[in-house]
Amino acid sequence: MNEAYSQDHDATSAEVFGGDASGFIPALPEKMSVRNLDFFYGDNRALKSVNVPLYDRKVTAFIGPSGCGKSTLLRVLNRMYDLYPGQRAVGDVLLDGENVLDPRLDVNALRARVGMVFQKPTPFPMTIYENIAFGVRLYEKLGKADMDERVEKALRGAAIWDEVKDKLNASGLSLSGGQQQRLCIARTVAIQPEVILFDEPCSALDPISTAKIEELFDELREAYTIAIVTHNMQQAVRVSQYTAFMYLGEMVEFGETDQIFQTPRESRTQDYITGRFG
Amino acid sequence: MSQSHASLFGDARTQALKRFNLGDRAFHLITKGSALAVLALLGGVIISLIHGSAPAIGEFGFGFLTSQAWNPVTEKFGAAPAIYGTLLTSFIALLIAAPIGFGIAVFLTEICPYPLRRPIGIAIELLAGIPSIIYGIWGMFILAPVLQATLQPWLIAGFADIPILNELFAGPPYGIGIFTASIILSIMILPLIASISRDVFATVPTVLKEAAFGVGCTRWEVVRRIVMPFTGAGLVGGVMLALGRALGETMAVTFVIGNAHKIHPSILGPGTTISATIANEFTEADGALYTSSLIALGLVLFVITFIVLAASRLMLARLKRQEGR
Repeated sequence: MNEAYSQDHDATSAEVFGGDASGFIPALPEKMSVRNLDFFYGDNRALKSVNVPLYDRKVTAFIGPSGCGKSTLLRVLNRMYDLYPGQRAVGDVLLDGENVLDPRLDVNALRARVGMVFQKPTPFPMTIYENIAFGVRLYEKLGKADMDERVEKALRGAAIWDEVKDKLNASGLSLSGGQQQRLCIARTVAIQPEVILFDEPCSALDPISTAKIEELFDELREAYTIAIVTHNMQQAVRVSQYTAFMYLGEMVEFGETDQIFQTPRESRTQDYITGRFG
Repeated sequence: MSQSHASLFGDARTQALKRFNLGDRAFHLITKGSALAVLALLGGVIISLIHGSAPAIGEFGFGFLTSQAWNPVTEKFGAAPAIYGTLLTSFIALLIAAPIGFGIAVFLTEICPYPLRRPIGIAIELLAGIPSIIYGIWGMFILAPVLQATLQPWLIAGFADIPILNELFAGPPYGIGIFTASIILSIMILPLIASISRDVFATVPTVLKEAAFGVGCTRWEVVRRIVMPFTGAGLVGGVMLALGRALGETMAVTFVIGNAHKIHPSILGPGTTISATIANEFTEADGALYTSSLIALGLVLFVITFIVLAASRLMLARLKRQEGR
């Protein structure tokens, strides 16, 4: 696996992925692999030959200053950028070995496999129950009892069942911000994806709601491969096993979270996590 | 510390403050006056309508609303055909224009390539700016003969064997009539519906749509399940505004409706609307009762429009409550 990365012409990446004898990357199965990915907003190159793995059933955190390309990278993983003309990705993004960037790929099916939770809570304008059932119904025909069960399971999975079980027919918009975000996580979980992408999921939430969502990650990673973009470095430490530090569209350093935060190899990583810039 | 403002700031400052105060009061009075002027105008319109229609109401009573008679010679007047025509043409026009208008709006906000959005949007707004008399001329000289030769015979023949519908689409094809007026009306309100819906659709947060795409929705599913429900209240409001315009539209309708004071069972038959009747006959209304009846028609239109407006407000309020916002 390291060979794939050591071919990289980028010295930084080579050093991170293959150049070091200590070999901190264990032979874990990669759920998704990003290889030599470039991304363009029109003529603006927002990602510069990025390489990064998402290990199966691990949480990978993406940190870096604003505008460094973290969210852009996330939006490539489920082809969300497809919605906008003038944005294009060059390179390979593999999901179980299959290239996600293949134009023949069914993006709706991809997004069912790679779910996404956004920065702001985005409950749909329907009841709490329907918010969950809606996505499920797109793919499966379930009877009433099965659907009820699936909705309950999803809501339990997002630790919000107890708060909403008595008002499943209330509007999703009537919940508080933190509850809405957990509802969105439940909605994502309900369609049984394989990968879940979190784009700063807690940045619009209060500390208590944030803590509740962070607690979820340990549970979620038993079933899902997770990528999370965050500006909160303590959060990255708390929830992730692997961390990627990005800067100006480049993948500066990738490694185990403990290593990144305790003994970063790159001076830029060191500067960022100690608050010297960014 | 207990010095007064005057000695603290000096006399110049006090004077200036006094001047500001005066200006503020004048501004207050002017804006208040403008607002009150609107109310006064509205009240004036209502009073003069009621005053003008009093003779007709006194003569015919509630029968005015239900009578089909319209005879200037014997001075028997009834509003039923005009009310029927007004409501029916507006309803059919909405039936045609609303789906197309939503379609245009969805295309413009969700599907249309960016370089085409502005030109198409501007074209729609230009369509809204065409004076209604031009629609009338076009309807009379181009659309009506075409409908007479093509669509109407086809409708008459096609529904001939189906009960109820064969009554609705009964011949002969006049060309002009309720149906043609409805089509003209639908063309006229289409830009209104399209541009309001487009503005309303544009208020849906991008991230909400992305979330829907994120669970694997297709564009249709996003529009149907997210955009439409999210904007429900606004859409209803836009349609109601268009209905208000259709109810009151005069010139274009007058040209193509046929001006017959009769409730025809077929929608292809000629009819009339309130505003078309008033526009056509006000100059030739010689008797006091004739004039008064026309003013009474105006009062009826005023009440209908008021009810539509009130109903739309009520629906909007209820929708808002349902959505918990």
